[in-house]
Amino acid sequence: MKRYVRIKKNLKTMLSKILKIKPHKNSNVIGLNERNIKLIYPNNAKKHYPLADDKVLTKEILHQYDIPCAETYAVIEYNSDIKKAWEACKKYKAMAIKPANGCGGGGIKIIKKDVEGNWRSSGKIITERQIFQHMAATIMGFFSLGSHDRVLVEECIEPHPFFHKIYPQGVPDFRIITLNHIPLMGMLRMPTDRSDGKANLHQNGVGIGVDLDKGTLTEVYDGKNYFDHHPDNEFIVKDIPIPYWKEILEISIETAKVFPLDYLGIDIVIDKNKGPQIMEINVRPGLGIQLVNKQGLKKAIEEKTNK
Amino acid sequence: MNSKTNLRTTVTLITLIAVISIGLKLKPIINNYDDFNPDKVYKVNYAYFFKSEDKGTYVKTFIPKDNLRQRISEGNIEVDSTLHFRKREENNQNVRAIWNTTSRNTYHSVNYKFTFEGKDRSYIIPKTFIKVSDAYKEYLEPTLNIQSGDTSISKLAKELVQKAKNDKEVIKNIYDYVSAIPSAPIITLTDALTTIKQNKASCNGKSRLFVALSRNLGYPARIKGGIIAKNSNKRTSHVWAEVLINETWIPFDTLNGHFAYLPSNYLEIYQGDEFLITHTPGIQFDYTYQIKEINHIAFLKMNSEEIRALSGISLWGLVEGGIMPKSSLNLLLLLPLGGLLVAFLRNVVGVKTFGIFLPVLIAFSLLHIGYLSGVILFVGLILLVGLISYPFDKIGLLYTPKLVVSLTIMVGLIIIAAIIGLKYNITWLTTLTFFPTIILTIAAERFSRSTIEDGYKMAIDKLFQTLLATTICFGLLSWKALPSILIIFPEIILLIITSSILLGRYIGIRWVEFYRFKPLFN
Repeated sequence: MKRYVRIKKNLKTMLSKILKIKPHKNSNVIGLNERNIKLIYPNNAKKHYPLADDKVLTKEILHQYDIPCAETYAVIEYNSDIKKAWEACKKYKAMAIKPANGCGGGGIKIIKKDVEGNWRSSGKIITERQIFQHMAATIMGFFSLGSHDRVLVEECIEPHPFFHKIYPQGVPDFRIITLNHIPLMGMLRMPTDRSDGKANLHQNGVGIGVDLDKGTLTEVYDGKNYFDHHPDNEFIVKDIPIPYWKEILEISIETAKVFPLDYLGIDIVIDKNKGPQIMEINVRPGLGIQLVNKQGLKKAIEEKTNK
Repeated sequence: MNSKTNLRTTVTLITLIAVISIGLKLKPIINNYDDFNPDKVYKVNYAYFFKSEDKGTYVKTFIPKDNLRQRISEGNIEVDSTLHFRKREENNQNVRAIWNTTSRNTYHSVNYKFTFEGKDRSYIIPKTFIKVSDAYKEYLEPTLNIQSGDTSISKLAKELVQKAKNDKEVIKNIYDYVSAIPSAPIITLTDALTTIKQNKASCNGKSRLFVALSRNLGYPARIKGGIIAKNSNKRTSHVWAEVLINETWIPFDTLNGHFAYLPSNYLEIYQGDEFLITHTPGIQFDYTYQIKEINHIAFLKMNSEEIRALSGISLWGLVEGGIMPKSSLNLLLLLPLGGLLVAFLRNVVGVKTFGIFLPVLIAFSLLHIGYLSGVILFVGLILLVGLISYPFDKIGLLYTPKLVVSLTIMVGLIIIAAIIGLKYNITWLTTLTFFPTIILTIAAERFSRSTIEDGYKMAIDKLFQTLLATTICFGLLSWKALPSILIIFPEIILLIITSSILLGRYIGIRWVEFYRFKPLFN
């Protein structure tokens, strides 16, 4: 009995400690708990989540406000529409086929026409039949855990040559975090030799810090260490100015304004011909960006919102 | 801001009420703290009915005593006025109860009632035993029914000792040999030699053979008698064997398969090759043991009425009324507490788990199958399901049907394992079926969902983190007094709610994030 009383007392003091302690010495970093309670819950109403989670809905709004993003070739909702949609799309030389509600980048296929007129996906020939099957599987929910889904067919982005100096493969993108339409922090995500074309940090991609005010790159972070160059390339990225930086900030702010979501992670790519394009938006942006920029989000909020 | 103050006031108020309510009950409970902590409590009644003859008539029996694993509290002894009752401690430490009468040709009834509180106990046997002193010489001598000096016993003993490397193995060989003798419900006395000859025996034959073999090899051994308590009326008593190992009498029940272990419901009554009841020959005599299991709170020296009389609310009424099986009540009460623990692990420590109640439920099933084998089975099955679904991933099956395929294969595996286990007598394989299938199914689904959402590496990582949370829950749940505490102090449920609310407002850095964001803290 005495042991029980003691344990309960310990529990109480422990709880009160947890509740009262404001992490003073590390007050700059925002953890998952604080992100959820202070940033996501009050700023992003759950009912508006689909606007970010469903790529088709996101693009509808972007198109409506003429915010630059990849041109939509087709949206396919039913199996019976696949053939008709394909007839409209096949005149293009390249396209990206995506599930509207895919998770973790699954189900995305980039197809390109080669000189002989064959469709190729990741170097291999893909038949029209295989393309249809992929679309049908997407509609059946193969990439969205069993729920019905839509297929989004859109223009294929060609990365700007700026990126080739840093690392020549894959599609790098910028992630800008905005709070109440103000950009707080940004990073450039790039694939590596080990990341299989993916630019996500937890899939072996690297993040490169961005100085929002100067519009330059800072350091490369691979999840463990910081470098001044891409791990698979010698080119020094420090203080390199980012092309179209003004536009990137502008379309981020514009995007943040047209969505009823006040805390966002906005993904932007730079197309060779068309310049910055919104790729997708995220209502639960990850916290790794703090590591990439060597700065806590709390500090960023303080600096950016008091200006 | 206003709603925040309201929340704070409500939380403080509820906590205050709960703490006061607990405080009111605390004093009587601390005063009645009982460190014996029995697992089971039974009311036992020796009910005898007999007719006295012309001459003086007697009925004798043994009555149990307290020891490290049982506590006896005497109740009332109902006898009619013509019966004379006395107790006598005999020189072999047994306590005899004797009823005498001089009245002739009359019917008598005896009710000897007591409360038996028992706990189980297992013993660790050292590899080699210390040589025994002469004080225990009598436990090495042959007797009429324990013919330890007989040549066939010697021959058998020699065979059993041949492959043994140490004393412990000798005892194990004897135990295995006697255990393997088929058991048969033989009521008549079976001696050690007959047991070998017939190659079947009930408890008394097996125990005598065990004792005879031990004595033959120089290990002091004796018969131990008692009753296996069950919630019923019964007429059968039970005997097992004890071997003196390093000054401790260690129990071996070759009939029920208890090696150096005695379950909590074994009531020890006497030692030596005796009869539990003896009476004047030729009289009419009938008996039953009326046994009733009673609900109890392990750490309290209070009876049912006293617990009921405690001020404030408690759930004792539910236990007493038998409305709900105690195990379901325990599960119900422990679930929120386990949930709070998992919430703490997730939001404060930063452990990632499949679901919130899943680790608690897995921990619950581990209580039944044992931690180590349970964990191995659990991880094995889940990984197997993940592996099985891999080729289906490649083929490109839709999510839900694919899940059905893997779960069906899992069920098939469980059945096959159970069949193999049953056929070749591999116990741990048969326990698979006791693993609540629902819990396994949910866990397997979560795992395969995670393999799709986060990839195989992350999913396995999450599985092991779930296991970590399960282990911590297991630690909490295996604290035996916990359900009883919750039954007496249901206010803790309120405290769980308030703590969860506070936990829900916690915005500090999770412990694992200190590691993750380490570069930023320097």
